[in-house]
Amino acid sequence: MAFWIVLGLIVAIGFWGVSLYNRLVRLKTQVANGWAQIDVQLKRRYDLIPNLVESVKDYMGYEQETLRQVIEARNSAVKANAGTATPSAASLNAESALTASLGRLFALSENYPNLKANETVQQLMEELSSTENKIGFARQFYNDSATAYNTAVLSFPDNLIAGRFGFEQATLWQVAEAERAAVEAAPKVDLR
Amino acid sequence: MNAAVTAEPVTGPRVNGTDFLSAQAENRRNTRWLILILILLGLILGYVIGWALEAWASADYQVADTLNISALGILGALALGGIGIIASIVTFSSGDRIIMKLTGAEEVTAETEPVLHNVVEEMAIAAGLPKPRVAVIETEALNAFATGMSPQKATIGVTRGLLKSLNREQLQGVVAHEMGHVLNLDIRYMAAVGIMVGLIALVSDLALRSLRMGGRSRSSGKKGGGALIVLLILVLFAILAPLAAQAVRFAVSRQREYLADATAVQLTRNPLGLIGALKVLEGHKEKAPEIGNRATQHIFIVNPVKAFKSGGSALFATHPSLAERIERLTNLGRG
Repeated sequence: MAFWIVLGLIVAIGFWGVSLYNRLVRLKTQVANGWAQIDVQLKRRYDLIPNLVESVKDYMGYEQETLRQVIEARNSAVKANAGTATPSAASLNAESALTASLGRLFALSENYPNLKANETVQQLMEELSSTENKIGFARQFYNDSATAYNTAVLSFPDNLIAGRFGFEQATLWQVAEAERAAVEAAPKVDLR
Repeated sequence: MNAAVTAEPVTGPRVNGTDFLSAQAENRRNTRWLILILILLGLILGYVIGWALEAWASADYQVADTLNISALGILGALALGGIGIIASIVTFSSGDRIIMKLTGAEEVTAETEPVLHNVVEEMAIAAGLPKPRVAVIETEALNAFATGMSPQKATIGVTRGLLKSLNREQLQGVVAHEMGHVLNLDIRYMAAVGIMVGLIALVSDLALRSLRMGGRSRSSGKKGGGALIVLLILVLFAILAPLAAQAVRFAVSRQREYLADATAVQLTRNPLGLIGALKVLEGHKEKAPEIGNRATQHIFIVNPVKAFKSGGSALFATHPSLAERIERLTNLGRG
C-alpha cells in the first residue's frame, strides 16, 4: 500500500515537473519569436532606407549631412546586426542610433512642401514610418515576452527547473542612450 | 486637440483608474460567471421540460413524487447540452464565411489600401499574432468589425466612412480594439453564447406551443391542482428562460467590448487614439446610415443598429454606451 502511494507521488511530481518545463519552453519560444519578428522589421528598414534617401536627396539639397548620417547609421546597424541570433548590446545601440537619425530626417522633411507632392516619396515615407511603428510594437511584444519569461525563470518553483536545464534570462531591449538623447532633444510640439 | 481629450462628466458607477492587466483579469472573471449562468439556465430548462413531461405522463400528478430526481429531467438536460455542443462545432467550422456575406465586406489588397494594411500589421505584431485578412465595407457609416473563429483565420474589416474620417492614430485605436477581439477569442465566445441563447429560445418556444396544443385536447380539469402547478412552473420557465438568456448574452457582449478596449490600450499603449475615435463615432452616430442588423450587430465596434429610443433599456444592449467606454479608457490613461 505504502509502496503504491509513494509511486503515485513520484509520478505526480514527475508530471508536475514536465508541465513546468514545458511552460518554460513555451515562454522561451515566444521570446525567440518576438526577436525574430523584430529582425524581420529591421531588415525591411535596411532595405527601405537607401530608396528613401535616393528619392529625397534632390529635394533636400541642404540636408546632405543628415542624409549622410542616416546612411552611415544604417550601415553600421547592418554590420552590428549581422549574424546575431539574439540581441547584442552593440546591435541594440546601433539600431537606436538609426531610429534617432531617421527621426531627425522625418522632422526635417516637414520643412519641404515639395516632398508632400511626390507620390513615390509619400509611399516610401508611409512604409518607413510604418516599419518604425512595427519595430516599436515588435520591441514591445519582445520585452513583454522576455519579462514574463524572466519572471518565470526567477520565481519558485520554476527556478529549480530553469537552473537545472540551463534556461538563462533574456535581455530586454531598453531605450538606449542615443535614442533617449534624441527624444529629449526633439522639438516640443504644442497641439493647442 | 486638447479639448477633444478631456472627458465630459459621466453619470453612473465610476470605474477606478486601473491598469489594463487587472481590467482584463476582472473581465475574464465576469465573462466566465455569465457563461456559467447561461449553461446552467439551459440545463435547468432541459430538466424542467423533462420533469414536466414525466409528471404529465404519470397518472395522478403527485407533486410530492416530482420532488425526487426526475430521470426524464436529467435526460432533457443532457439532450439540450448535447445539441448545444453539436451546433457549436458546426458554427465554428463555417461561421466566418457567413459573417463576411452578411456584412457585405470585401477583402482588399496591400496595394489598394496600404495604410490600413500597415496599421493592421502593426497591431498584429503588437499582439504577437499572424496578420489577419483586411476587408473594407463600402459605406459612409462609421464602423469596424472582426471575425474569425481562431486568430489564424481572422479578418478585420472597417467601413469606407471610417477610413475617411479618422486620422492614423485613431484608426490604429479602432484596429487595436478589433485585434483585441481576435486576441481574446471573442468571436468564438460570442458564437457559443449565441448558440446557447438561440437554443434556449427555440426549446422554450416549442414547449409553449406543444402546451397550447396539448392543453386544448386534455385540459378538462379532472386531474386537479397538481397538474395546474406543473403547468404553471413549465409556462413560467418557458417564458422567463429566453428573456434571462438574452439579458446574459448582452451582458457578456458588453463585457467583451470593455475588454477589447482595455486590450487595445495594451497593444497601442496609447488610450488617446481609441478615445479620439470613439468621440468621432459618437458625433457621427445620428447621421450614419445603418449597416448590419440584429444578427450581426454584436460584432461591430459600435452598435450599427439604431435604438428604438435613445434611452433604450441598457439591459438589452449589445454595446456599452460610448460615454461609459470613453470614461473607462480615460481612467486607464490616468492609471
